[in-house]
Amino acid sequence: MIDIKDVSFEYGKEQGTLSRIDLEIRQGECVLLCGESGCGKTTITKLINGLIPHFVEGGTLSGATFVNGMEVAKTEMYHLAEQVGSVFQNPKSQFFNIDSDSEVTFGLENAGAAPSEIRERFEATVSALSIQPLLGRNIFSMSGGEKQSLAFASVYAMNPSVFVLDEPTANLDAEAIDILRQQMIRIKKEGRTVIVAEHRIYFLMDLIDRAIFIQNGKIAQIFTREEFHKISENQRIRMGLRSLVYPTLKLPHADPPGAKVGLSVENLACTIDKQTVFGGINFSAVPGEVLGIIGHNGAGKTTLIRCLCGLLKESHGTVQLDGKAVNVKRRNKASFCVMQDVNHQLFSDSVWNECEVSKPDCPAERIEKILETFELLSFKDRHPMALSGGQKQRLAVATAILSSKYLLVFDEPTSGLDYRRMLEVSDMIKNLKSENRVILIVSHDFEFLNRTCDKIFGMEGCSAERRKSCVGNI
Amino acid sequence: MSSLSRNHTLKIDPRTELLLLVMANVVAFTQHSVWVEITWVVLLLLLIIVCGCKKAAGKLAVAFGIFLFLQYYVFPNGPKMIASSFTIIVSYARKIFPCLIVGTLILQKTPVREFMVSLRKCHIPQGLIIPLSVTIRYFPALKEEVGYIRDAMKLRDIHGAEKIECLLVPIMISAATTAEELSAAAVTRGIENPAQKTSMIDMKFGVQDFVCLALGAVFCVISIAVG
Repeated sequence: MIDIKDVSFEYGKEQGTLSRIDLEIRQGECVLLCGESGCGKTTITKLINGLIPHFVEGGTLSGATFVNGMEVAKTEMYHLAEQVGSVFQNPKSQFFNIDSDSEVTFGLENAGAAPSEIRERFEATVSALSIQPLLGRNIFSMSGGEKQSLAFASVYAMNPSVFVLDEPTANLDAEAIDILRQQMIRIKKEGRTVIVAEHRIYFLMDLIDRAIFIQNGKIAQIFTREEFHKISENQRIRMGLRSLVYPTLKLPHADPPGAKVGLSVENLACTIDKQTVFGGINFSAVPGEVLGIIGHNGAGKTTLIRCLCGLLKESHGTVQLDGKAVNVKRRNKASFCVMQDVNHQLFSDSVWNECEVSKPDCPAERIEKILETFELLSFKDRHPMALSGGQKQRLAVATAILSSKYLLVFDEPTSGLDYRRMLEVSDMIKNLKSENRVILIVSHDFEFLNRTCDKIFGMEGCSAERRKSCVGNI
Repeated sequence: MSSLSRNHTLKIDPRTELLLLVMANVVAFTQHSVWVEITWVVLLLLLIIVCGCKKAAGKLAVAFGIFLFLQYYVFPNGPKMIASSFTIIVSYARKIFPCLIVGTLILQKTPVREFMVSLRKCHIPQGLIIPLSVTIRYFPALKEEVGYIRDAMKLRDIHGAEKIECLLVPIMISAATTAEELSAAAVTRGIENPAQKTSMIDMKFGVQDFVCLALGAVFCVISIAVG
C-alpha cells in the first residue's frame, strides 16, 4: 500500500512543482496518472520509487510518502528497490549489460541473492512474461519494443510488489504496446500494485482501477474506471488527453507510382548486409500532400527513409522527383529528415547560427522571416540545446526549409507528446503544405496521422521480415 | 559447469585468461631463445584453436610466420639497408604475438558479464567494476549515436573540419542525458546495495585452467632462467 501524505515538492527554479498531493493506493490497485507534459505526473512516480529525494538534487520536499510502511525519504534506495520496480521512458538507457540474460539477473545480483535463487527467479520471469525470444541476445541488436520488454522483465525478476511505469510506451509501436499490456495484465493478476504515468491511454482503459488527472502540480480530479470510461470526447480534449479509444486509420491509400510532379517510387527494394529488407515499394506523393507511412517495427521504415533521403543506395527500382529518376547523391541534396531524436541534428551554438550553417549565403531577412513563421525569432540567440523539444523540432524544419529541400520526411515526430503538443506538430506540418514540398511522415501515432495526413502508405506485405523472432503473447 | 560447451570447444576461466596475459608479457620480454618463443606461440595458438578461435589463430600464425621469415631469411640475405632499418621493428613486433593471441581469446570468447564476475572474485573493488562495465556498455551505444549523427550531417551538407565539431556537440549532449537516465535506472535496481554481489553463473577453475597456468608458469621459469 502506498500513502502520499500532503506532499509538496519544488525542483530548482524553472521546472514544475507538486503542491499538496494526498493519495492512497491500495495493494493490487492499478492507477493511471494522466495530464499534460510537465503537469507533475512523472514527479509523483519519483516520490514512490524514491528518486525524490534520493536522486533528484536541490529540490525542496515537504510531507511524507510511505510505501508498504516504509517512509521513502528515510529508506535507503536499495531497500526500496526490493519492493518498488521502475520502468522508464527511454528503452535505450535502462540496461547495464550487453547480453540480455545478464540484464534480467542484474537487480538480483546487486541484492546479493543466492545463485540458486537467482536461477529460480530467472526461470520464473522467463516463463511468466514469455520472453524466451529475448534470451541470449545482444541488447544492441534489439528493437525499442524488445528492449522495453527486457527492462520490464529485469524489474519483474526482482519480484517487487509495486511497479512504477513512467511513460513506458513513449517509444513503442502498437505491437510492442500490446506486449506491454499483456505483461501489465499479468502483474495485475498477481496482485501487484501498478502506478503508470502515460499520455497514451487507450491501451490502459480496461486495466486501470482509477485515473488521477493532474493539472499544474495538483490532483485535479480522481476518476474510477467507470467514470473514466464515461468521459466525453469534448471533455477529454478539454483535459488535453490523448484518445481514450483505440484509434483506427481513416485515410485513403497512397497514389500508385508514376506521378509527373512530386515523388514517385517504383518497385523499390533495399538490402542491408546482403539481406533484403523490403521490396516492391510502389507509391506517389504530390507536392502539397502529406503522406503517412506506417508499418510495425522491423518492417523497414527506417531503411525506406534512409533510402529516400539518399543515405542508402537502393538495390532495385527507381525513385523519381518531378518525373526524373534521381540517384542516391541527388536525393541526398534534395531531401531532409527530421529525426525522432532531433538532438542528433542540431550542431550550432545558437538558433541563428544553426540557420546560417544550413545556407551560408542566405540574406538575414529570409532567416528572420522563417524563424518568425516557426515562432523562434525571439529565441535566436539561444543555444539550440536549451530549447524545448517542440522548438528543436521546429528549428530542424526551419533549417530544411532554408536549404530549400524538396522532400521532407518526419520520423516519429510525436513520440511521447501530449495532446496539445501533438496538435502543434500537426498544425506545423499542415502549414508546410502551402510550401509546395513533398512531405512524408513515418509514425505509429494513428490519432496524429488521421489529423495530419491526406493519404497513407502501409509497408506490410513489402517487408521481408528481418526479425528472427518477436515476443509472443502471454 | 562442464568444461566443454555445446559446440565442443574448451572454455577457460576469465581469471586464467588474465593470468595468461600477464605470463605472455613476462615470457615475451624476458626470453631470448627463439625456440622458447616459437613453442610458446604454438602452444598458445593451439589453446585458442581448441577454444574456438580458428580463423583468428590462422591469421596470427601466418603473420608470425612472415615475421620469422623476414628476420631469419630476408634480413641476413637481403640488402644491408633493409636489415638495419627494419630489424628492430620486426623483432619487437614479433614479441607482442603471445599477448595478441591471448588478447584475441579474451575479446572473442569472454562475455562481459563473466569478466565482471571474475574481477569481483579477485576482490577488485565494486567502485571500479561498475564504471568499467558501464564504459564497456557505452561503446556500442556510442557507435549507434555516431551513425545517426553522420546521417544528419549528410542531410545538412556539412563537410570537412566542421564535421568534428558537429559530431562532438550532439554526442556530449546525449552522453550527459544517457548518464543521468542510466544512473536513475541503476539506483532503482539497487546498485548501491552494500551486500556482497552474487551471480547466476558460478565460475570454478577446471582441469584445463590448471593445465594452462602450469604450462604458463613453466615457460615463465624457463624464459627467466634461460634468458
